[in-house]
Formats: sequence, structure tokens, C-alpha cells
Amino acid sequence: MVFLEIGMNEDIVVPFHMLDLERLPLPKVILLNLLHRISCRKASNEHGYYIAITTLHTISELHQDEDTGAILFTVSLSCTTVKPCKGEILIGTVTRILEDGIILKYGPMSNILLSETRMNDYELDMSEEPMFLNVNGLSYIKKGTKVRFKVLDIKWIEREKDFIIWATILGDYLGPI
Amino acid sequence: MSADEDENAAELKIGEEFLKAKCLMNCEVALILDRRLEQLQQMSDDPTNQMSQVFEKSHQYVKRFSRYKNQDAVKQVREILSRNKLAEFELCVLGNLCPETVEEAIAMVPSLKMEDDHMLLDMDPLTNMVQLSSSECSC
Repeated sequence: MVFLEIGMNEDIVVPFHMLDLERLPLPKVILLNLLHRISCRKASNEHGYYIAITTLHTISELHQDEDTGAILFTVSLSCTTVKPCKGEILIGTVTRILEDGIILKYGPMSNILLSETRMNDYELDMSEEPMFLNVNGLSYIKKGTKVRFKVLDIKWIEREKDFIIWATILGDYLGPI
Repeated sequence: MSADEDENAAELKIGEEFLKAKCLMNCEVALILDRRLEQLQQMSDDPTNQMSQVFEKSHQYVKRFSRYKNQDAVKQVREILSRNKLAEFELCVLGNLCPETVEEAIAMVPSLKMEDDHMLLDMDPLTNMVQLSSSECSC
């Protein structure tokens, strides 16, 4: 996944009781609300995972939502995100060894599935510590191993606000490193 | 399985979001998140309260896998790679994976190879970049 810096506009609702300027500067109230909102959002299919706000560009004048009557400020900002892309090469870390494959993690993503059918010449070895051992005995993949893999396919799960990735190490320069 | 059927980073068929946004290398993101963490520490007694899990996991990842640690080296890498006619996406993948040979670079970024077998990438600057990485790498 390549990291992106994207431009966004967000409508921030400020509760009426927090508009007391003597207690806290308004921009700080808006910023705190914005930070909280972005951190709760986690991810979207459009932008990927929201990591951090990098720049606050502008805050609009106060305006009111016609339907709810809420006090709004429209904030223009830049945000660092990360989103998976089919076909790209990534380096992940093994978190679990299963009978039919491996689960990897990469940054905020913890659902990267590498099936044993996508790992030519590796066989499961449960003798001491579970691992996939190369048939030539020269390499292995176990929990904590760094693996260079290719993204085979991606699915967005709306209810989890998360992606699932299917991976492969069939190809040149792919596998444990 | 439901990713866009046409999407394929190997052929640089990537979504609008990758074309419209600025792409960042792991090392650039590490610097950004370090600065962000410093700001959070100044703003709050307990900065972990302000950090999302996504932030923490991303920060851990880029700190572990960044090839270049200091700001000058990071700038230098982008400058070196920008001398070639690369898409932002290709530049970032190369900066992250640091291939040491032509064959490895093509395997990582197949779109580098043109139809007439010429490379879009001049390997000499890439070799310099790898050497810079070796002097900095802590992984």
C-alpha cells in the first residue's frame, strides 16, 4: 500500500455550549472535534485508512445546518491515508500460521491472507514451532517473519470498516526476507 | 472478491485516488508521524489517548520498514528518483523496496519496462540510493 496525502473537506458540528470563547479558543474546539472524528472513522473504501491530519488549510465561517439547526464549520484539510492496490508488492509480517496458510499484517491492516496454494514449495511443519518450510530446507516462514508478497485481490468490509487482502508469493523476488 | 477488475498496479492501472493524491514513501510518512507525535505530546499529558490504533500501527510499521532515517536522506531519495520519468506511485514503490538490480526493479514495478524492452529507469541513481540505504538501514 502506498501512503497518500489527500485533500478533504469536513463539516464539523460544534455543540452550542462549546461556543463560549472565554473558555477555549474556537479553532482549538474545532480541531479537537476534527481529530476525534477522523480517529473514530478508521477507514473508507474511497480513501483507505485515515492515519493523521497533516495540514489544516481553512476553517469556514460559522453556518447552520438547515435541517438540524446544528452549528457547523467546514474545514479544509490534508490527511495521510494508506490504501491497498491490486498488483502491488508489499512487505508484511506473519502473525499466525494456520493449516492452510498464513495471516500477515501490514501497517494498520491485519487481515492479509496468504493461502498455501499461493506458496509453491512450502509445506507446513508443526514439529516444534508451527512454520511453513521450503521443500529445499533453505527458508522458512513462521510467526514474525517478514514476507514480500503481491496483492492478489482486495475486499472492503463496510460493517468492519476494514479491508481483506488476498496475497501471493508466487513470483520472482517474493517470499520471506 | 470485489476489487475493481481493471485495477493492476503492475501495469500502472491504479485508481483515481492514487493519481489525484500525492504518494508518500514509508520514510516520508515516518517523518510526518514523528512530528505529529511530538505535537500530540505537547498538546496532552497522555498523547496515547489522542492516537488512534490506525496511527499507532502505521507509525510502528513505517519506523520499522523505513530505509532512510534522516530528513536529508529522505529528500535526497525523492530527488534521485524524480530524475527519472516515473509516476508518483512507481517512485514510492521503488523508494520503499529499494531493488538492487534491474531484474529486481522490473519484478517489483513491471510498468517500468517499456514494450521495446527499454527501461524507464536509469539504474545508476538507483544504485546510489541503495548505497545510501545501506549506510542508514537499521532493518
